[in-house]
Amino acid sequence: MSTNELLRLEGVEKRFGDTVALQESSISIERGSFVSIVGPSGCGKSTLFNVVAGLLKPDKGDILLDGVSVRGKSGHVGYMLQKDLLVPWRTVLGNITLGARLTRRVSAEDRTQATEFATKYGLGDFLNHYPGSLSGGMRQRVALMRTLALNQPLLLLDEPFGALDAQTRFEMQQWLLQVWRDSERTVLFITHDVDEAVFLSDRVLVMSPRPGRVVDDLTIDLPRPRTLETLTSPAFTALKATILQQLHRERVS
Amino acid sequence: MKHRILRTALTGVVLASTGVIAAATNASADGLGATKLTTVNFVYDFPGPDMELIPIVVGQDQGFYTKAGISVKTLFPASTSSTSAMLATGAGDVGFITTSDMADAVQAKVPLLSIANYSMTNNWTIFAKPGSKLTAADLKGKKIFSWGDTWTNTMMSFVLKHAGLSANQVTIVTASNDTPLLMNGKIDFDTSTTNYAVPAIQGADKGATPVMFTGSQIGVPNIPIWVYAVTKAYAAAHPATAKAFLSATLAATKWAIANPAAAVNDFVKMYPTSGYTKAYSTTGWSLTIPLLKNSSGKFFTQTSAQWSTLDQGLIATKQIKTAPAPTTYYTNAFVPAQ
Amino acid sequence: MTTRRLLKAVLGPIVSLIAVVAIWQAIVVWGHVPSYIAPRPLAAWQAITQNWSTLWPLTSWTIKETVYGFFAGVVFGIAFGVVMAKVPFLAKTVYPVLIMSQAIPIVALALPLVLILGFSLMPKVVIVAWIVFFPVTVNVLDGLHNVDKDLLTLSQVLGASKWRTFVVIEIPGAITPLFSGLKIGATYAVTGAIIAELAASSGSSLALYQHAQAGQLNAAGVYGTTILMTAIGMGWFLLTLGAEYLCTPWRRRSVARRKWRGARTISAVSL
Repeated sequence: MSTNELLRLEGVEKRFGDTVALQESSISIERGSFVSIVGPSGCGKSTLFNVVAGLLKPDKGDILLDGVSVRGKSGHVGYMLQKDLLVPWRTVLGNITLGARLTRRVSAEDRTQATEFATKYGLGDFLNHYPGSLSGGMRQRVALMRTLALNQPLLLLDEPFGALDAQTRFEMQQWLLQVWRDSERTVLFITHDVDEAVFLSDRVLVMSPRPGRVVDDLTIDLPRPRTLETLTSPAFTALKATILQQLHRERVS
Repeated sequence: MKHRILRTALTGVVLASTGVIAAATNASADGLGATKLTTVNFVYDFPGPDMELIPIVVGQDQGFYTKAGISVKTLFPASTSSTSAMLATGAGDVGFITTSDMADAVQAKVPLLSIANYSMTNNWTIFAKPGSKLTAADLKGKKIFSWGDTWTNTMMSFVLKHAGLSANQVTIVTASNDTPLLMNGKIDFDTSTTNYAVPAIQGADKGATPVMFTGSQIGVPNIPIWVYAVTKAYAAAHPATAKAFLSATLAATKWAIANPAAAVNDFVKMYPTSGYTKAYSTTGWSLTIPLLKNSSGKFFTQTSAQWSTLDQGLIATKQIKTAPAPTTYYTNAFVPAQ
Repeated sequence: MTTRRLLKAVLGPIVSLIAVVAIWQAIVVWGHVPSYIAPRPLAAWQAITQNWSTLWPLTSWTIKETVYGFFAGVVFGIAFGVVMAKVPFLAKTVYPVLIMSQAIPIVALALPLVLILGFSLMPKVVIVAWIVFFPVTVNVLDGLHNVDKDLLTLSQVLGASKWRTFVVIEIPGAITPLFSGLKIGATYAVTGAIIAELAASSGSSLALYQHAQAGQLNAAGVYGTTILMTAIGMGWFLLTLGAEYLCTPWRRRSVARRKWRGARTISAVSL
């Protein structure tokens, strides 16, 4: 195993009854990379996430994080959904430190770190606000701060911007890239939006259902930082076309 | 004293909810004669029927009222304090109430007039459990049950005065039912009238008789408890009907005294869901019969003394402020000749 | 709350109260309602003030029954709710029994309680608790069931133990529905106390006093004691409402009262 590898799935398979949600898969994720997963519903992407997060135990195979097996164990990844899942009774600061509150206790360092994150990324004035008074975009930022707060190396983001309008989504994508760059984490990102996948990632895994499995693995070698121009460049369009064809092919077959 | 609304609710929760408390009209047989009958709305003093209603039931069932040219419909009040109000508003014509309730109503400016005594003697009694060793001298510091009604409050003032006790030297308790508490020793003394309490205790303890203290033993005056009453306006407007009602009721009362078993049957037939067993009603009616005549053998006739003595107790318990002239409470003008 | 906001909040209820009294007075006077059926508002008020020395001890007992019974009911209510939410088997067996308990008329309940507990404060406290616990249980149960399942998943992914999840996520999430249950219980607690007093009194009680007033056709006394009972109920409800305001600030404010001051020093440094 290369020292640059953070996550490895070895022959992981998960069935639900007779359905093979995830067929025997072996995937390697490089440290510090941004990897997107695209595919129609039932292709196994959520199952993949849940197995990595420790919510599901695979029927076969193992998951290694930094060389250590985390099969069936939880508490080792950051996790974020489309729903921000902010608890209304805690302030922005309280929500960011929720992970600490749930696993040990919230220390002064936790609060200081949370304050630094928030201030750096434009939420500094809202630390003592309750989530109820924030816009959708801001709430997702707070959720991302919460996801970063426990300093786990691997982040699993499941369509976090799906509920936002197009303009806010673009702002959030650029913001996410900045945060990712600053924090040097590894990101696994699920999306339906092929544009988003190509724009954000170093690598796109295309998955297909019945049985759920990875059918294509594209390297996105577009230059960083990615800008508005990137979106309309020929290289971008070519990559997008490849992926779309792949998805269409899978749909038809 | 009568077992009040709460006892009915307890012995017949289902009965209570099936409308005993609502105004129930008596399906009396009448009205196919050539002459039209005058309707008299009779209001009882309790939300449900019990054996003291027997004279009225007999009057309806045996045709005494029809013969006198009237048709009596029995109404039950929503609560034990509603009878006076129902008379005052005209919902009822003739009412059955305690003398203390009537005097309180008069004080509250309800212009009621008593036209006849139902009972003549005071059978209000303090009871101890069957086999108890307690005597009337043992009241101090004891738990005494009260229904919280005006008659019991009035009698207790006489009792305490006679025993030389103040109100906080005894513990007065009120609950929804007295008999189980007495039998289980949760209260030391019960207060009620013999015709209601004795059959209840006998029913609870297979015929056992309670220990009883009454009358001069406990210092209560021998004054009548229940009367038939109308409003002064009704008496002025319908003297003939009032007379007819009383004369028919007298005949019915005499019949019921002479034929107690048949009278109880009439009651059970008319009110099968009353919640009282036939045995209870039989014992109760047999204990009511001796109360109905005075020492001269007369029914219904009232005296001024009964009302002025009552007023003493009412003033002592602060139920009324001043006692009016006794003659304003009653009239014997409608009582039939005997 | 500023003085101005407070005044605005109480203005509505005060106006309603004045309207109710005005309508009452109008009905009694123009409808020529006899004084033994319904009194004028002033007469009812005077029935309270003129008998205050008698009424105050009775009222304080009723308040004690209401308050003690309420707290007992709340404790049991929360306990039942939590146990049933966490142990589904118990929920299936216990819930129907709890529902049946509410179908029993208080009057039928009172006698066995008096036989067991005597004539002290206890049977009344039990009866009030009986009435109060059920809405609390139902609301706690629903509150715990309605916690966002994804939030529970998130908690699990973060590595939280079941106990931590319960304390940090589920309990706070159930506070809002809990207060719904508390407000209902608070309103009905005094009703329970009154019924209990009628069914199990030693010496005098507010309910018996009212009963005696009714027997004497003293409508002013009846209405006066009703006003007192209503005041107890409303007062207790308002206190519960106040507690809700204190415990759920996020429903009314956008910024928390107690602020984390560290933010200032950080911003100063990063500039």
